[in-house]
Amino acid sequence: MTLRNIFLVARREFAQVVALKSFWLTLLLIPVALAIGPLLGDSLDDEEPTRVVVIDRAGGSAAAALAARFAFEQDRHALQALSRYVRRHKLERADPQAPWAKHDRWYTPADVMAFRAAGGLEAALARIERAKPADIPEFDRPAADYEIVAASGTLATAEGDALASQARRLVQASKEAPKAERADLVLLIGAGYPADPTVRVWAGDQPRASFVAGVQEVLTADLRHRMLVDSGLSPRQALAVQSAAPAIAVTTPPPGGGAREALLVRSIVPLALAYILMMGLMLSGSWMLQGAIEERSKKLLESVLACITPEELMYGKLLGALGIGLSMLTAWLGAAAVVAFATQGAIADVIRPALAPVTSPGAIVTLIYFFAMGYIAISIVFVAIGALADSMSEAQGYLMPVILAILLPVTFLIRAILAGNSGPLVQVLTWVPIWTPFTVLARLGTGISALEVIGAAVVLAAFVALEMILLARLFRQSLLAQGQKPGLKVLIERLRPVAN
Amino acid sequence: MPEPIPVPEMTKRCGGFQMSVLAVRGLTKRFGDVLAVDDLGFAVQPGEIFGFLGGNGAGKTTTLRMVLDIIRPTSGAIEVFGRAPDRRNTGAIGFLPEERGLYSNMSAIEVIAYFGQLKRMTAADARAHGMELLTRFDLADRAKAKISELSKGMAQKVQLATALVNRPQLLILDEPFSGLDPVNQGLLEEEILRAARGGAAVVFSTHVMQHAERLCQRLLLLRKGRKRFEGTPDEARAQLPSTIDAMAPPAIAELDGVARATERRKLENGLSEWTLDLAPGVSAGDVLQRASARGLPLRRFEERRATLHDVFVHLVGPDALEGESRA
Repeated sequence: MTLRNIFLVARREFAQVVALKSFWLTLLLIPVALAIGPLLGDSLDDEEPTRVVVIDRAGGSAAAALAARFAFEQDRHALQALSRYVRRHKLERADPQAPWAKHDRWYTPADVMAFRAAGGLEAALARIERAKPADIPEFDRPAADYEIVAASGTLATAEGDALASQARRLVQASKEAPKAERADLVLLIGAGYPADPTVRVWAGDQPRASFVAGVQEVLTADLRHRMLVDSGLSPRQALAVQSAAPAIAVTTPPPGGGAREALLVRSIVPLALAYILMMGLMLSGSWMLQGAIEERSKKLLESVLACITPEELMYGKLLGALGIGLSMLTAWLGAAAVVAFATQGAIADVIRPALAPVTSPGAIVTLIYFFAMGYIAISIVFVAIGALADSMSEAQGYLMPVILAILLPVTFLIRAILAGNSGPLVQVLTWVPIWTPFTVLARLGTGISALEVIGAAVVLAAFVALEMILLARLFRQSLLAQGQKPGLKVLIERLRPVAN
Repeated sequence: MPEPIPVPEMTKRCGGFQMSVLAVRGLTKRFGDVLAVDDLGFAVQPGEIFGFLGGNGAGKTTTLRMVLDIIRPTSGAIEVFGRAPDRRNTGAIGFLPEERGLYSNMSAIEVIAYFGQLKRMTAADARAHGMELLTRFDLADRAKAKISELSKGMAQKVQLATALVNRPQLLILDEPFSGLDPVNQGLLEEEILRAARGGAAVVFSTHVMQHAERLCQRLLLLRKGRKRFEGTPDEARAQLPSTIDAMAPPAIAELDGVARATERRKLENGLSEWTLDLAPGVSAGDVLQRASARGLPLRRFEERRATLHDVFVHLVGPDALEGESRA
């Protein structure tokens, strides 16, 4: 057996796949997705706030309270987002006393009032801008959740069925209608409020629970305030009672460092590798199969086997398939690296910390080993199928059960890893060689002991060696047996060591 | 008509193992209960065109595959260039299988260069000689065309070029004329003769006797894996006695050496048209001499020697010639 012949076959196999349009489509899929993902995401995001028409027939104080509440929530939301931004990029020095520079708290009304008093978001961003290095991305302003709008003239005065009809027309208007002629919610506070505290809501769709809870909270507070005042407390005392609340201190890890968030972020690259391995195998396996079947159906094998051994042919095919897999891996990881380190934005913010757990030499060696061995372990099966089948349709018969046997457990495995589950399924799959590469790769982000990695690597290497011996026999003895559909007995016979 | 090649003297002289390009002794191959090749032996010398004749299932392809180390014998010995067959010989062997095909998405020159490299040539040498062959085969302008874009006849020429690209010392052709159009049959005959003139040993299997008769200096007849004959075409023809077509009186049927006489037509003057089968070991000259000695008037005396076809049918059986009419 000579390396030269193996490389010659590998190069031909590689060139054959590279000449396919489907290869380039697949190769460019991830980079294109990374490039257009943010644009597509922006265009698909519905950033338009929920339009709420409030009709207050009880004097307007309830409507004002609701508007104030939504404005407060919006400012608290902006404050929280700003706090995370400042903490992620270590910008506290811009104003150490500002509420957005203090991260260990659930922002109270007092914090929000201080934020507003200092000029709100615009003033905060102006201060941060002065301390921000140029390479730090701009703050992504959170969109407002709600927009309170006044009722139009006819709606404001309509009564009974006419009111209900107009409100329904407003909430059922299409998105394309002028803003003035549509709303997401219409909220009516009747003239009998607070004696009759019924509040009517018309909605085009099921209203958000946070909206209903907010309205309920604001109007409950209003009703209680009125009752407290009616019972003899001064308005100031009533307000003090209403606004008494505990100060909640919250300690969280820095952005990307929270347990669940960290788990997901750290698992992105290992899981992506497991997916790439799976996708790459299925694609290159199918290309390799087509090549093998072409050799059989076009009766090329005898000419080739007169020049090289069946083993050289098999190893060449495997090497070619591995080359295809590694090319796809390199292109995809390269595109991810470019996005992570040469660009800025939401995807870069995710990819950068995601690459962190796989940058140590040990992790890189582990990744390459399990990726390559996984590729070889499963590609051998495709090569053997190629040697057995005379046509693609015949190959499908062998292929389907193999693909299902490999992919189904891997699908469950990835779900388990994403759920933070490292139970019996994950443990068992780690030690079953055909699933070992996927499992170890997927577990790298969530934590797997060095002992397990080494043990699984040894078991996988032994399995691949055994596979090479057995399937090489099957390959050798099936190559020239064209037109014969082997049964199980014949297949087992071919696995035995015989001269020919 | 291609110029015939003289039988190398070495073939007759050496008879030994060590001088042969290819030598086979006691070769046997079993596939389970089926005995495909049975105790076969032969040798092929440099410059010799050796025909490997037999019907379907005679064991020709199996033998050639063992010579190429594609399959291994059950017992017996094969020597190619003086050593057991293995891929180290690849660089000196050209092979054209019976079932042919090429990588459809590669260009003609790429396929030839690929096979040249598999036969241990450098990429540059393989491409250069591949282009020479394509030029010789009148295909230079299609060198960069994909195989899928070539006609069947053109693809056949490219396939032949893949067998010749490494300038083989041993050219093995398994049913090479099968499926070729008449133009490519002529081209192949020329290439076989060219290779032999260049000193290569050419072994080709066939069950089409015309090709064997035109090209082979020696041939081997196989039947059910066993050798039935090995020798020159003349020696093969001598396996069957000659027949004589004569116009003579009835007394010719009584001459010594005439095993059987068939009167085909009576003529005037007491003469008839006869077909005479001679007894083993009797030549047409012997019969002519005896007829002259008896003073028999002969109006016509023509010897008809057995053809390879007759010998083949005699030794292998008529069923084995299935498909010959196609050639």
